[in-house]
Amino acid sequence: MQFPSANGIKRPVRCGEGTRNFAYESLGHKYGLQCRETPGVELRGEFDDPLKKHDAAIRAICEQAPVRICEGELISGSATLGNAIKHVIPADHNGAPVFMSMSHLTADFFTPVNEGLDSVREAALASYEKYKGTEKEAFIKSCLSVLDSFDIWHKRYLDALRDKPEYRANYEALLRVPHKPARNFREAVQSLWFCFAFLRLCGNWPGIGRIDVLLGPYLKKDLDSGALTLDEAREILAHFFIKGCEWICGGDYGSGDAQHYQNIVISGIGDDGLDVTNEVTYLVLDIIEEFGISDFPTSVRLNTRSDEKLVRRVAEVMRYGGGVLAVYNEDLIIRSLVSYGYPVSEAVKFANDGCWEVQIPGKTYFTYCPYDFLQLLQHNTLKDYSPDVDFPDFETLYRAYLSDVKALLDGLCDAVRGRFVSENPWVWRPEIPCTAVSLFEQGCVEKGLSYLQGGPVYNVISPHVGGLADTVNSLYAIKRLVFEEKKLSWREFAAVLRDNWEGNEPLRQYVLNKYEYYGNDSDGADMLCRRFLSDFADLCGTLDGRTGYRFPGGVSTFGRQLEWAPHRLACPYGRKKGEILAANASPAPGTDTRGATAMIRSYCKNDLGKLPVGAALDVKLLPSCTAGDEGLDALVSLLRGFVTLGGFFMQPDVADAAVLRDAQAHPEDHQNLSVRVSGWNARFVTLNSEWQRMVIEQNECGCGY
Amino acid sequence: MNAAADIELTVTEIQRFCMHDGPGVRTTVFLKGCPLRCAWCHNPETQSPERQLLFYGKKCIGCGACSICQSGAQVFGESRYIDRDKCTVCGRCADVCPASALQISGSRMSVSRIADEAEKDRAFYGEDGGVTVSGGEPFFQPRGLIALLRECRKRGLGTAVDTCGYFDPSYLPDAVPLTDLFLFDIKDTDPDRHKKYTGADPGLIIKNLYAADRLGARIRLRCILVNGVNTDEAHYAGVARIAASLHNCDGVDVLPYHAYAGTKATFLGLPDNGRKEWIPDEDTVRRARLVMNGKL
Repeated sequence: MQFPSANGIKRPVRCGEGTRNFAYESLGHKYGLQCRETPGVELRGEFDDPLKKHDAAIRAICEQAPVRICEGELISGSATLGNAIKHVIPADHNGAPVFMSMSHLTADFFTPVNEGLDSVREAALASYEKYKGTEKEAFIKSCLSVLDSFDIWHKRYLDALRDKPEYRANYEALLRVPHKPARNFREAVQSLWFCFAFLRLCGNWPGIGRIDVLLGPYLKKDLDSGALTLDEAREILAHFFIKGCEWICGGDYGSGDAQHYQNIVISGIGDDGLDVTNEVTYLVLDIIEEFGISDFPTSVRLNTRSDEKLVRRVAEVMRYGGGVLAVYNEDLIIRSLVSYGYPVSEAVKFANDGCWEVQIPGKTYFTYCPYDFLQLLQHNTLKDYSPDVDFPDFETLYRAYLSDVKALLDGLCDAVRGRFVSENPWVWRPEIPCTAVSLFEQGCVEKGLSYLQGGPVYNVISPHVGGLADTVNSLYAIKRLVFEEKKLSWREFAAVLRDNWEGNEPLRQYVLNKYEYYGNDSDGADMLCRRFLSDFADLCGTLDGRTGYRFPGGVSTFGRQLEWAPHRLACPYGRKKGEILAANASPAPGTDTRGATAMIRSYCKNDLGKLPVGAALDVKLLPSCTAGDEGLDALVSLLRGFVTLGGFFMQPDVADAAVLRDAQAHPEDHQNLSVRVSGWNARFVTLNSEWQRMVIEQNECGCGY
Repeated sequence: MNAAADIELTVTEIQRFCMHDGPGVRTTVFLKGCPLRCAWCHNPETQSPERQLLFYGKKCIGCGACSICQSGAQVFGESRYIDRDKCTVCGRCADVCPASALQISGSRMSVSRIADEAEKDRAFYGEDGGVTVSGGEPFFQPRGLIALLRECRKRGLGTAVDTCGYFDPSYLPDAVPLTDLFLFDIKDTDPDRHKKYTGADPGLIIKNLYAADRLGARIRLRCILVNGVNTDEAHYAGVARIAASLHNCDGVDVLPYHAYAGTKATFLGLPDNGRKEWIPDEDTVRRARLVMNGKL
């Protein structure tokens, strides 16, 4: 039984044979394939109201979804319907899925685990009294209906477990949770899992959030009283991770089969400003290290005071590759959230949307809007390099581009207005029913509004810059070549670009080799990047207050550089039409030649605090440069430096392009080899060939000498 | 600005994020000029103290921009080459070469500018990392080296010197207190082979090693491993004896020969002298590492 690693180092064995077997089978698609056999339930009859149709679907799912008890499992509950893996509510009506489902949120699991799900029902009953006879009554009724359905599903598990002595502990835990507050670690893990599994059963893909903050106190109590040993606790938590792989089916998924936005966040400071790192933090790292499970991408909240023991442990686990661990610099992020307007007490709680975009968990509606900013420059500002466009100087060009960015953002804001019935006061339109997640989002039940109708405490739509490095590099090359060195006029240069550099190889080589672009710690390009991101953030700020949403900016591509490539023209910095360009806030492939530290410095020169949702930096490291004690030291230094310099979010990935190429040729030997794509991981063999090629190319530009 | 910080050194490259040139993350400064002529030299462009023209044939797009050459050194035609006898290393061709196929190796940089470069990665050095001065032979530019070490020390940057050991011992008393760690090469313990493959007698090297040791230097030995040349037990044992006899030895690094060294020579217009048979296999490297570190 081998769990793969990028550098050939054998992963340690801590869990028992049964748990390891369970992991091996789960990672080997056993449960995912079972899910596929039961894609969903069928709804009959006609519905005059979407909410009623939704409630009927949830009820049918809870009544009919197969109950699955995996051999030896320490916690129970399973999301067994295959269509949930397709991001829809797994119920069909007249041959089509009833409704889409929700993702990009971290649900509030603190309330059910700590206070019991009954407290949610009580709140719903109180809201019912409050909103009875108003237009909000229907939503509250839906809340109560979904809670009833939940109870049906819960009871089916109790029935299935009751007469099985080997699952006695599971049964007893479920007798209490999630309805009542958990009393010990096992109940807490069971409660968390059961709520998570319920949301997934209904098709949603929630993130987990700060698991060590949630579970740590329960474990401490059990360890102190001697009710549980650390090894026993590790097994229980491992089952949470292993069961979280129950949607893995293998096969060709394009962007990979392990991206259900189920991110976990560990470490960082708590409400009192003190470090929350506890035994659960280290158990999470142990489990990732032993199994390399990539389905719960895990982000570590680091700060300048993070314990050396933690940082080294993180680096150790990172070295196995797979890109499972990423890091936040919480010093910057908390400051950023506070200056954006969140109270400090909320900012310190930050987690993500299940990917890496920062949000206040359990109380935020979140969506992001990705834009190809390179295409915006090429198409809108430079008019596809039309001979009719000219600019007297760089500032004029830059300002023209900014006004195009402004138009884009204003357009987004105008489109968002369509979500409201009236503007003063802001009244949300009825939306797609999404009661299940609404029950796990603070604000919804209280306000009588669903997750999509402004129910959550915070409502966020984040415009994202895609193609950052390509845009900045393009602007920089034009600035240098046309306006500073005056080697040729803009009209002449536009003609060269229109022809895709055809017949102008020396000029192309010149811009490729003679200028230092973003990512080389060279102020020319880096400061242009800083200026642009700062202007972008300011423009985002002008949208706030215009609707019931806020619009904090971010930087991402999430692999969209692949789908954008065919629509992009030749780039002024030497790239030809259709090339796959930069990812996230990382340098353009092949343009960064000064190593990881220079890249991190370039990234950190940006005023990242103005982008409260975040900007991700991917750092590809070769296994050779993380080998041995020196390599471990180097990785620790990279993490520390990233925090010291004021980074936001970094996804280091240790991978060897040669190993990835072997996996391409012999997928059967590398079933569980995972790579970091963006806020998620993918099992490499489940990426389609285009994605595989992109990942390999990125890794061939890996850092390290 | 003080005069010492203005002293200039001839540098071939400043490489950041180096993990294998001393502890922690390091910025390695490669200085030009070396007294040895090792047959396996991995940085042939650092041997000569003079500026040199490098030509990377694979990058050349044949645009002919370099025909601006005034001395007739750039020879075009079916076999494009550089007439190195005529080349004055004026650097004009490198300036205009759009593909950076032509590059000048060796630029003069002041001590303060080098330290400024090293300063950039300060956030990554932690307690262990810092600057490593390598080459070439750092002591080939002794005054500049000592000024650079002093400047780094003044700025609180860690210092290491990677030396072949062949230099004027009179500089050691100044250098040792400014250097946190010496990476001291012992290329061969067999005097005849040493002379044959490096062109120099090892006597001075060993003398300098012990002189540094007596001055209190912390030393890590660095041993190139060339298959069939110095892969014998006597040499391993010799290195182990030396390591054991030092007062403050940090251990022995074994550096296996790499054939890329030969490719680098071609950029200088020299034949590719890389020798595959010199690459030691993994078992050999492992054994050398154990014996030299006194673990076998």
